[in-house]
Amino acid sequence: MADFLFTDGRSRTLTEKFARLNWTLLLAIATLVAIGTVSLYSTADGSFHPWAEAHALRFIICAGLAITIALISPQVWMSLAAPIYIIALIALALVPWFGAEAMGAKRWIGVAGLKFQPSEIMKIGLLLALACLYQKIPADKISRPRTVALALLIIAVPVVLTLRQPDLGSAVLFAVVGLAVLFAAGVSIWYFLAGGGGVLALGPLIWSNMHAYQRQRVETFLNPEADPLGAGYHIIQSKIAFGAGGLGGRGFMRGTQSQLDFLPEKHTDFIFTMIGEEWGFMGCGLILMVFALILINLLWIGLRAKSSYARLISFGTGMVIFTYMFINMAMVTGLVPVVGVPLPFVSYGGSSMVTLMVCVGLVMSAHIHDNVRLDRSGARAVW
Amino acid sequence: MAYGNLSDTRSKEIFSRRAILIGSAQVAGFGLLAGRLYQLQVLQGQYYAPLAENNRISIQLLPPVRGRILDRNGVVLARNEEQFAVSIIPALTADLSETLKRISEIVPLSKQTQQQLLAKAKKHGTNRALVAGDNLSFQQIAAINVLAPQLPGVETQTTYRRRYPGGKSMAHVIGYTGDVSSRALDDDPVLRLPGIKVGKIGVELGFEDRLRGRAGRRKFEVDARGRIIRDLEMRDAQAGDDLRLTIESDLQDRVMSRLTGERCSALVVLDVNDGSILSLGSAPTYEADRLTGRLSKQEWKELSDGKDHPMFNRATRGLYPPGSTFKMVTALAALEAGVLDSKEKIRCSGRYSLADQSYNCWKRHGHGAVDLNRALRESCDTLFYEVANRTGISKIASMAYRLGLGQTYECGLLLQKKGVVPTPDWKRWRLNASWLDGETILAGIGQGYVSATPLQLAVMTARLATGREVVPCLTQEKKKQRTRFKKLKINPKHLSAVRAGMLASVYEPGGTGKSVQIAGANFSIAGKTGTSQVRANSTKRKAGQLEWEMRDHALFVCFFPVNRPRYAIACVVEHGGSGGKTAAPLVREVIKDVVDYDRKASALKRSRKKSKAKVEG
Repeated sequence: MADFLFTDGRSRTLTEKFARLNWTLLLAIATLVAIGTVSLYSTADGSFHPWAEAHALRFIICAGLAITIALISPQVWMSLAAPIYIIALIALALVPWFGAEAMGAKRWIGVAGLKFQPSEIMKIGLLLALACLYQKIPADKISRPRTVALALLIIAVPVVLTLRQPDLGSAVLFAVVGLAVLFAAGVSIWYFLAGGGGVLALGPLIWSNMHAYQRQRVETFLNPEADPLGAGYHIIQSKIAFGAGGLGGRGFMRGTQSQLDFLPEKHTDFIFTMIGEEWGFMGCGLILMVFALILINLLWIGLRAKSSYARLISFGTGMVIFTYMFINMAMVTGLVPVVGVPLPFVSYGGSSMVTLMVCVGLVMSAHIHDNVRLDRSGARAVW
Repeated sequence: MAYGNLSDTRSKEIFSRRAILIGSAQVAGFGLLAGRLYQLQVLQGQYYAPLAENNRISIQLLPPVRGRILDRNGVVLARNEEQFAVSIIPALTADLSETLKRISEIVPLSKQTQQQLLAKAKKHGTNRALVAGDNLSFQQIAAINVLAPQLPGVETQTTYRRRYPGGKSMAHVIGYTGDVSSRALDDDPVLRLPGIKVGKIGVELGFEDRLRGRAGRRKFEVDARGRIIRDLEMRDAQAGDDLRLTIESDLQDRVMSRLTGERCSALVVLDVNDGSILSLGSAPTYEADRLTGRLSKQEWKELSDGKDHPMFNRATRGLYPPGSTFKMVTALAALEAGVLDSKEKIRCSGRYSLADQSYNCWKRHGHGAVDLNRALRESCDTLFYEVANRTGISKIASMAYRLGLGQTYECGLLLQKKGVVPTPDWKRWRLNASWLDGETILAGIGQGYVSATPLQLAVMTARLATGREVVPCLTQEKKKQRTRFKKLKINPKHLSAVRAGMLASVYEPGGTGKSVQIAGANFSIAGKTGTSQVRANSTKRKAGQLEWEMRDHALFVCFFPVNRPRYAIACVVEHGGSGGKTAAPLVREVIKDVVDYDRKASALKRSRKKSKAKVEG
C-alpha cells in the first residue's frame, strides 16, 4: 500500500471503508433478489428447490464478493483491467472451438469442470478497459481520432466475437454500453452524429448479414400474431399473462399462464411476465421503482466521483443494468424482438448475477477509495 | 498538477452534462415501459384475461356409442365391435424411438412403420397423437396397459367398428357407416370428432339422428403441453337409441337367396294392415362389413360401379315401367269415372287403332269379346287401350297417385325414387312438348312414360287389397304409433271387381299368373303379372334369342289371403322375359316363406298371450 497516493495524506481504516459502502445500493439490489426469490418459489410450484434457494444463496455469496472487491483499491483493479480484457477476448475467440452448444449457439466454455460464459467476463473487462483508458488519457486528447479509434476497437472486437456465437443479447449490450461510456467520457458529439448517420445507411447491409433465426425474430416481433404457434407464441402468451394480471395481479402462485407452463423460460428471461401475472401492474411498478432507485444511486456516485475511472465505472454499471432491464422488459411486453437477456438480480442464473455484482463491487471500490489519487501519467505504461 | 486538475474539472463537467442527458433518456425508457405495462395490464386487461382462461381450460368431446339396429324379433343387424388402439403423444415421451421399440415388443411394428411414425411426428408436431396400432387383441392391450406407467405419452383407446351380422342379405336395408363428408357437417360437435362414423345410406342414414346419440363433454385444466392437470366437469356421452325394424331377418334371408337366382331383381313384402315392411330385397347385393373396414380404391370402384351395380337398391331406387301391373289403376280410374261398366264387353282383334296409329295386343290374333274380369285375367291390352282412351290421362294419373305411385314415403328409407306418373303438365315441364293421345293409350297398360319402383308397386297392391291409404314403415315404433289407415274412398264394388280379376288371373283357365298357385294351400292369392317392354323389338321377341339387356322386365304383384288380406308382394326381375314365367314362380316360393313366417309369428303370439293369461290368472 506504500506506493498509493492519498489526497488527504492517509489511508482509510477498514471500519471507515465499511461505513462508506453504498448500503442503499446493496439494499435495493437485495430487494430485487428477494422479489426474484419469491417468484422462483412460485415458479417451482411452491418450492425453494431448485431455483429459489440457489438464487438467494448465490446473492449472498456474490454480495460478499462485491464487498471484498469494494474494499480493495481501484488501483489494483485498474492494473488488472488490461489482463482481464485480454483473457476475456481470448476466451471469446476460443468459444467456437471449445464451447458447448446450447439452444443452437455456443456460448459456454468449460474449464476444470466449471462452465462459464466468456461474454460475462468481457462485460467486466470492457467496462474496466474503457474506464482505465479514459482515466489515463488527458481530457483534451479524448477526441483525437487515434484515441477514438482505439476505444472503438476495444468495443468492436467483443461485439463481433459475440455476434459470431451467435449471442445477440451480449453484442447489443457491449455496443450500447461501450458507446454510452464513450459518450459520457466526453468524446466529441460529432463522432456520434456521423456514426448515427452511418448506421442508418448501413442498416440494409446488416439485415442481409443476419442469421435466419435473427431475422425471424425481428419479423416475429413486427407481427407476432401471424404465426401464433411458431416463434410468436412466446410473445402472445407473455402478453396474455400480463393482461391477465391486470392492476392487482392474480395473486401469489395463482398465475395460470405461468403455473401451467404457457410461458417459456419463466425462471430466467420471462420471470418478469410471471411477476406481471401474479402481482399485476402494481408489482411491476414496484420493480421499476427499485430499478430507478439503483440507477439514481449509481448516477449520484458518478456525479460526485473525483476521477474519470470512478465516474465511468459507475456510469457504465448503471448502463449495463439499465440496458439489461430495458431489453428484458421490452422483450417480454412485446416492444422489441425476443433477445435472450435476463432481468438483472431477479432472473435465475449465476453468470449474470456474478457479473453484475462484480461491477457493483468495482463501483463501490471506486466510491470508498475516492481519497486515492489515481494516476493519469501512467497511461503510456499500460497501453 | 494544475494541468491535471483543470483537465479533471473539465471532464467532470462534460460527464455531468452527458450523464444527466443519458439519465433523462433512461427516464424516457422507464416511461415507455410503464406505459406499455399500463396499456397491457390496465387498459387491455379485460381483453387478455379471458384468453388466459381459454388457454387453461380444454374441452374434450367424448364420442357416443352408436345405437344398434335390430330386426322385428330382436335379432341384431348392426352392432358395434370394440376395437383397441394404441396411440402415442410424442411430446410426452422421453424418447419416441425408444418408446416405439418398447411397444413393438408387444405390437409388432416393422422398422419401416417405425420410421414412418417418426417422420409423421416430425411433420405434424409433437402434440398430435400418433396411432401406433389399431385392431389390437385384448392381450396386447392389457400388456400395454401394464407397461403404460413406464411409457409416458402412450395411451390406449377403445374405438368401435360397425359390424353387420346380417351380411349380404341386409345390406340394402341397413346400409353402412363411413367417415363424415364435409358436405354432411351440421352443428353437432360429434361430427368433428376424429374417427366418428355416420350413416351413409339405408337405415344407417335414414335414422342417423336417432342412432348417433349425443357427445359427452369433459372439461379439464391443461398445461402448455396439453397435459391434463385436473378435471373440472364431466358429462357422459349419451348412446344412440337402439332401432327395431319391421324387417324379419329370417324371411329377408330367404327372399334374398331366391332373388340372387336372378341376375338383377327386387322384391318387397308388405304387411297390408300396418304397412310394415317385412322384407325388402334387391339383388345383386354387397357385404356392408367390407365398407366399414379399410377399402382400397379399386375395391370401392368395383362395388359402386361394378357389373350390375351391386350397391344400387333396386327396391327403392330402381324405376321400371309397371306394364300390365298398372292395369288395375286404369281399370279403377275408368270404373270410378263411370266410363266403363264391369260387365261391358269389348272386342279384341289383336290390334287397336286410334287416329292413324295402331296398337297391338300381346296376343296377335286377339282375345275376342272380353270384359274387365277376363281382360285382367288374360291381361288383354286392347280393352285397356280403349278404356284408357275413354278415361283420359288426368283421371288415370290421379288414380295412380291415390294408389301410391309417383311419390316417396317417409319411412326412413331415404333416396327413394319418385317414379313418373305422366300428365300433360308433367310432359310440358319435363320435355317441353304437348301431350299426344297415343301416349294415354300406352300409359293405360303401364308403358310409355309410366315408371315405378318395386316398393311403390307393393304399396299399390296393398292399397288395392285394403282399400285404404297404406303407407309403408320400417320401424316397430312407427308401426305402433299408427292408427288404421284412412279409407281411399273408392267404391267397394269397383274395388272388388278389380280384385276378382286379379284372383281369376291366378286361378282361372287362361290366367297369366297361374304359376303362383300353391297346391294344397288353404288360402287364395290375387295377383297380376306384368311384362314390360324395354324397347320395341317385336320381331325378335318371339324368337327368344334376345340379348339379356334387350329382354322384357318380368313383374308380379299380389296380395293374400284374398278374403282377409294380410300381405302384399311386388317383384321385379330385370330382363326376366315374362312376368308369368319368371316373376310369378319366384313370388310363389316367397309366399311359402311368408306363410312359414306367419305361422311362426302367430304361434309366438299365441304362446305369449297364453303366458300373459297365466300370469294374470
